Amino acid sequence: MIMNQGGSTETMSAVNSSSLENWHVVNASQGQTSSYLPSTAGSEALSWTAPKVDNRFTENGIPSNLTYHYDHQHVQPPVSSSSSLGTVNAPQDHNGYASYNPSDPYGYGSTGYSGYYNGYQQQSNPSYSQPVGAYQNTGAPYQPLSSFQSTGYAGSANYSSTYYNPGDYQTAGGYPSSSYNNQTTPSSSYNNQTTSSSSYNNQTAQWNDANYANYTNSQQYAHYTSSATTVYSSGAVTATTPATTTTTPLNYQQQYKQWTDYYNQTEVTCAPGTENASVTGTSNFASSVPSVPSGYPTSNNLPPPPYAPSWRSESSSNEFPSVQSGAVVNGAKDGYWRHGAPTSQNYHTTPVQPQIQTPLDQNSYNSFQDQQNSSIPQGPNLQYPATHQVPPPVPSCPQGPNLHYPATYQAPPAPPTYQPSPRSVQSFETQRGSKLQIPTNPRIASNLTFGLPKTDKDSSTTTAAVAKPAYISVSLPKPNEKVPSSAGADSLLKPGMFPKSLRGYVERALARCKDDTQMAACQAVMKEMITKATADGTLYTRDWDVEPLFSLPNADVVKQDAQSLTPISSSTKLKRSPSRRTKSRWEPLPEEKPVEKPASINHGTSNYAGWVNERDRKTLMMNSGSKGENMTGTRYSSLEQKGANKFTQKPAKRQCLMDSFVAANNGDTSSDSDKEQSLTAYYAGAMALENSPEERKRRESRSKRFENGQRHGSETNHLKSKSVGSGNLYSRRATAMVLSKNFEDGGSKAVEDIDWDALTVKGTCQEIEKRYLRLTSAPDPATVRPEEVLEKALLMVQNSQKNYLYKCDQLKSIRQDLTVQRIRNHLTVKVYETHARLSLEVGDLPEYNQCQSQLKSLYAEGIEGCHMEFAAYNLLCVIMHSNNNRDLVSSMSRLSNEAKKDEAVQHALAVRGAVTSGNYVMFFRLYKTAPNLNTYLMDLYVEKMRFKAVSCMSRSYRPTLPVSYVAQVLGFTSVANEGSDEKESDGLEECIEWLKAHGACLVADNNGEMQLDTKSTSSSLYMPEPEDAVAHGDASLAVNDFLTRTSS
Amino acid sequence: MAHVSMGEAHRRIADYLNRFADAVSYQDGASLKKLLSLSSNSSSLLSLADALAVFHDSNRLIKQSDKFSHLAEILLPLFRALHSYRIGNLVDSYQSYEKSANAFIQEFRNWDSAWALEALYVVAYEIRILAENADRELASNGKLPEKLKAAGSFLMKVFGVLAGKGAKRVGALYVTCQLFKIYFKLGTVHLCRSVIRSIETARIFDFEEFPKRDKVTYMYYTGRLEVFNENFPAADHKLSYALKHCNRQSEANIRMILKYLIPVKLSIGILPKDWFLEKYNLVEYRNVVQALKRGDLRLLRHALQEHEDRFLRSGVYLVLEKLELQVYQRLMKKIYIIQKQKDPNKAHQLKLEIIVKALKWLEMDMDLDEVECIVAILIYKNLVKGYFAHKSKVVVLSKQDPFPKLNGKPVNS
Repeated sequence: MIMNQGGSTETMSAVNSSSLENWHVVNASQGQTSSYLPSTAGSEALSWTAPKVDNRFTENGIPSNLTYHYDHQHVQPPVSSSSSLGTVNAPQDHNGYASYNPSDPYGYGSTGYSGYYNGYQQQSNPSYSQPVGAYQNTGAPYQPLSSFQSTGYAGSANYSSTYYNPGDYQTAGGYPSSSYNNQTTPSSSYNNQTTSSSSYNNQTAQWNDANYANYTNSQQYAHYTSSATTVYSSGAVTATTPATTTTTPLNYQQQYKQWTDYYNQTEVTCAPGTENASVTGTSNFASSVPSVPSGYPTSNNLPPPPYAPSWRSESSSNEFPSVQSGAVVNGAKDGYWRHGAPTSQNYHTTPVQPQIQTPLDQNSYNSFQDQQNSSIPQGPNLQYPATHQVPPPVPSCPQGPNLHYPATYQAPPAPPTYQPSPRSVQSFETQRGSKLQIPTNPRIASNLTFGLPKTDKDSSTTTAAVAKPAYISVSLPKPNEKVPSSAGADSLLKPGMFPKSLRGYVERALARCKDDTQMAACQAVMKEMITKATADGTLYTRDWDVEPLFSLPNADVVKQDAQSLTPISSSTKLKRSPSRRTKSRWEPLPEEKPVEKPASINHGTSNYAGWVNERDRKTLMMNSGSKGENMTGTRYSSLEQKGANKFTQKPAKRQCLMDSFVAANNGDTSSDSDKEQSLTAYYAGAMALENSPEERKRRESRSKRFENGQRHGSETNHLKSKSVGSGNLYSRRATAMVLSKNFEDGGSKAVEDIDWDALTVKGTCQEIEKRYLRLTSAPDPATVRPEEVLEKALLMVQNSQKNYLYKCDQLKSIRQDLTVQRIRNHLTVKVYETHARLSLEVGDLPEYNQCQSQLKSLYAEGIEGCHMEFAAYNLLCVIMHSNNNRDLVSSMSRLSNEAKKDEAVQHALAVRGAVTSGNYVMFFRLYKTAPNLNTYLMDLYVEKMRFKAVSCMSRSYRPTLPVSYVAQVLGFTSVANEGSDEKESDGLEECIEWLKAHGACLVADNNGEMQLDTKSTSSSLYMPEPEDAVAHGDASLAVNDFLTRTSS
Repeated sequence: MAHVSMGEAHRRIADYLNRFADAVSYQDGASLKKLLSLSSNSSSLLSLADALAVFHDSNRLIKQSDKFSHLAEILLPLFRALHSYRIGNLVDSYQSYEKSANAFIQEFRNWDSAWALEALYVVAYEIRILAENADRELASNGKLPEKLKAAGSFLMKVFGVLAGKGAKRVGALYVTCQLFKIYFKLGTVHLCRSVIRSIETARIFDFEEFPKRDKVTYMYYTGRLEVFNENFPAADHKLSYALKHCNRQSEANIRMILKYLIPVKLSIGILPKDWFLEKYNLVEYRNVVQALKRGDLRLLRHALQEHEDRFLRSGVYLVLEKLELQVYQRLMKKIYIIQKQKDPNKAHQLKLEIIVKALKWLEMDMDLDEVECIVAILIYKNLVKGYFAHKSKVVVLSKQDPFPKLNGKPVNS
């Protein structure tokens, strides 16, 4: 099952990538080649989906199959496009996303899910209609994607609207709906699916037609997605996948955001649908597919034949076509194909869904590699696709869906980068896979959150496993390539100036580029797009996350590559397909499959990172072995398998990352194309950071963390042996080892039961300066500074002349080191106090609040410090900013009598009195006499107080009021006669400026002294908008500003 | 407790089970609620707890008979809760009781009529009380007290069960009040908002349809919330409603209401009689009222200082502090009246110096700028009609009603 899933994902990815390219190509008239690739991709996808569907059907008999169909369709379009884009873009995306993926895959998936889901449907409802009636409806979700493409290509506006039409889905369902219904019925699924798929195909065909006319790939996609959504929860997923395929980039982004939703939605309907869809896509090429024949011919774009075979024959027959297609795709993408092919072969060996899996794997693999290569950070994304592949096999397992989801999630982050490239496709596929699984699993929702992390891991593992074989043969170089591309994307993006989503879009687009020339062309295209968008004002309103990527300028190159690669892949497919064939996709997957998969995975992993593999395997083992234990889907062994797959997938991702790292480090040139290499060189700088050992370690530790969380279940040892066999590249890392050991020992331990003392780190790092990086995994003692070094570091910061951002960064890293070593003493208090004061001085309240809350508990533990000083700050903070009487009262009641005698606290209490009564005279007197840093906190309230005071004055005084008095009372000038005249007049000037800025009416009296005309002022006062206001309310968070400041 | 024979224990348990099953089958809410009221320390429950300590195989007893087995989900954890409660293990007791309560509301959901509402009330009450006890135990063991929070979310679930169209909906307000109590205790009053919204806006609820006692409690808590928000008219309305409908006999409750109602009334310019304060033993407000009557700022500040802890705890400190402006107003009015007696023609021109001097007599050491600021605020807030001439440092009062009364309206803010 895993295999199948994996395969499907791959196909998906391939399809997606190819779809992107194809679209372009086809449109452009490169017709044959482009079509070819897409077709291949499509075929792969078809095979993938088919296996998935089969598995699910057979095993679970779940209705989700219908969904699959949808997905297929989706997949198809993407395939063509994605392949070309994918290679180049993927890397870029990686970089951008890299940070993203590592830490949050879990949270992402889980949190986002429900929200997304809801949002999704709602959104979809609104706009849809644009494209073909049916299409549009379905497209709703898609449209966003389509919008991408369309924006790139034609009218994006419509698309975006589609995106939002969940309702449309249903409506669109009209045509899809029939298929949908079929799909929905669980039992009917297969036949229905086929039918549905056929319908889908038809739809797709329509799409294609429509698209052709308008360049509608995006539209179609949109439809797809929407249809998926319509299907609704299930459908959504499929839709997304298809969407992804077609508009891969768009989908990606969307998925990114809405992953969870997508997943959930798509899950059910999509799985089957997706497969079909992909098939259809392929069918377009060949038009031979039996299952969806009608649809295919119509669709015409893709090679139906491969598709059909995969579907019907499911494993074996499909495999071949799919494999071939996969190979083609790979070639198109870059040298990756070759690798991919091998991988796919490996997959085939894995019994489950040989054909499908292989194609998928290959694709995913390729994409993975690409992604990995391009950007190490993206590596996870790549892995995602792998995960996708896994999902297909998973169908049987209830858990599988979850895993897939995570995978999908991960993919989404990657997608931005990937979208253009196959990666995005892969991710989509994964999503589909997850969707499929979901249908099987009723629990999906609950599982999703839970499972997401797991899925990621699993998916990663699976991918890794799949990918690894390929890797071995060729892949290592690829990661490098990808990385460069991602970096390139970043550079192209011109960070800071544009909306984040746009940046993501650009990154994605650039990630597709294989070489510099392509990159340059892409940049030119995008520049034009951005200028255009700016001109018509849609720059900030457009949903760049769903905007379809434009076609790659240099599709030819890609095609060539694909062709060259194809043969290899096909051959591999052939070899492996037989074994796969033995197990029909439609039939329930035997337990063996999971085992086999793990094995394959292990092989792949062994080459790369041993420990990850082991874990993955373990998880796999657990899942497969103890089917019911972890997963909700005890019913079906297949479900279990899925779960296992998921697990494996997650590891795969990690592995992929690691692989990519390795590749980068080793400089393997296995299958990287020259172009890719050049890209690597181009982005070497960007890469360097990511490849650094530290970075690797961090990432590893992150992945470990995830693994740990996932494998709470008991560990079966089947996989273990395999894992043991694999060489541990990373074994040298002490931390990792410790962690893995711990985990192994206490595999079934709940988080609460973990012995934190044993995990507490003793730092060995002697460097005083250290940049802050948020930990997402267990800390490495080699990078943690012991207490005495931290003391020096604190002194260094205190005496540093550098700016606040530097100091803040340093202090945060000190705090982090203290925390991971669980040091809570006077030094800790000192550090937090220092940081709190620094942040007060610059008005960085969020940081201050963090310190304050830590200090509160530190003081509560009886550690000496400047307790009173901070009690006063706390009070002032509540007064000035929370505007909550209850908080105020409670913090006042918490003050001890002793505290009330403290000067600073008394001052703060007096300020409170002045603020609550509006006594501005008192306030500004207190302002001048504030002890410690109270002034800085009061600073934040000065503007408000002054405004209130002037409105009060203008109401109470008649007829005029000397400005000098206002200036004196409101703290512009010091109390009369004390300061020098110069100062006085400066203050007066400032006051006049301030009054003018707030709409006050000033008149000069007979003596030439400025007077405030109170009566007219009272009606003309206003609060000007702060000049430095930013949308998120904190100017210090503005990206541009931040980047410039941190670099200083 | 010690000497309960096995047979006796068996008899007691069987007796309890019979009564429980009968209460359910005859839909006798009144009997049922007694059987659920863990913290009532009723003798029958205590003896049952003793019996449970002796007879360990109550599970079998329950599952043996068809009569009880369908209630096993309720009874098993209930017995455990009772046993834990009896031996003083309050955390376990809460946990078991929550399990039992969960099963109970599952059953309750299936009962068409609202006969078991009384029993549900007891469950909701017990949950809160047991959670409070459990938290006390947790806190004394240095652990994180979290049970009350858990009880809050459990009661939200109960609220969801009741918030329907059927006859059960009249129980929703009781649960709401229990939730209020929890939220106020936890200091998470912002959580009240969602329940309030559904009570006040959902069409299924007709406020007048709820039991009076719940209405009073509800109004009391929502009135307190309005006090925190300084929305005095609304607070006045709600607290007055609570006062009006509160049982005359329960003076403690009346006093609780008045604790908030008096500051609210003071804020809108309505002063209570001295005897009233004494009757309800609210003497802490006496000096505040005196200060308002006399315009004695010093007295007000002293009163606030004297009872600072109390006022801060109840949360009315800030409300009372804001009475200062009314005290200033009173002071100025007194000066104005004296001036008027001396020279009616110039009475509407109040020199700042005189106010400063008056404050000095009250030992309030404030300089001209400060007093000027206060006068400006008084005019701004419409407590004084007129204007301030900065050049001559004179308050020029309106000739008509220079010191408008609040008459139930809050001070402009």
